[in-house]
Amino acid sequence: MVLPLNLLRTAQNQPMMVELKNGETYSGVLANCDTFMNLQMRDVICTSRDGDRFWKIAEVNIRGNNIKYLRLPDEVIDMVKEEQKKEARQAAKGRGRGRGRGAPAGRGRGEMKGFGGRGRG
Amino acid sequence: MSKREGQKTIFEFNRYLNKRVRVKFNGGREVTGILKGHDQVCNLVLDDTEEYRRDPDDPFKLLNETRQLGLVVARGTAVMLVSPVEGMEEISNPFVNVAES
Repeated sequence: MVLPLNLLRTAQNQPMMVELKNGETYSGVLANCDTFMNLQMRDVICTSRDGDRFWKIAEVNIRGNNIKYLRLPDEVIDMVKEEQKKEARQAAKGRGRGRGRGAPAGRGRGEMKGFGGRGRG
Repeated sequence: MSKREGQKTIFEFNRYLNKRVRVKFNGGREVTGILKGHDQVCNLVLDDTEEYRRDPDDPFKLLNETRQLGLVVARGTAVMLVSPVEGMEEISNPFVNVAES
């Protein structure tokens, strides 16, 4: 399963378009994001809500609670899947080494629940 | 709740200290001011604040008139966007060639 915030984290340094609740859109490169969906973007073009005024802004900080939606490049979904595979492999390795520590890490991801149980039993 | 608010945000407002920033608020107000301080939940202290007047018929349309507010504490929950004024300019439509696709 692709979690929205994982997708967003993977999309760092990718161009994207964000529409805010007030209808303004911001197109630029994502520099950083956090668990509130707060965004930091660079080289942004801001479009007013009626679409007839434009601004170029070097840097913006957007508060996550004002976001309506984000548009990302299609490739990001593949990158996210790659990353999840990598993480799953690493989690599996961790479980092999230290029984105690591996279990909680496995429980964090939904599909790994079954594995953790078997390892401990 | 308090635990969640204690979580770190990515905002690095320290970089903007004593610089002029533009702040957009929930509901359409926009101001610029010199950033004097900030906290974890995005409350801001702005000095020499100027608010941009808005069209009385369309509160989302900005006019070029401003009014002086002076020293202001901006409530974090109402802040929508913060950006440095430096490096910001109005431009003509940059999407004209891209718009057809």
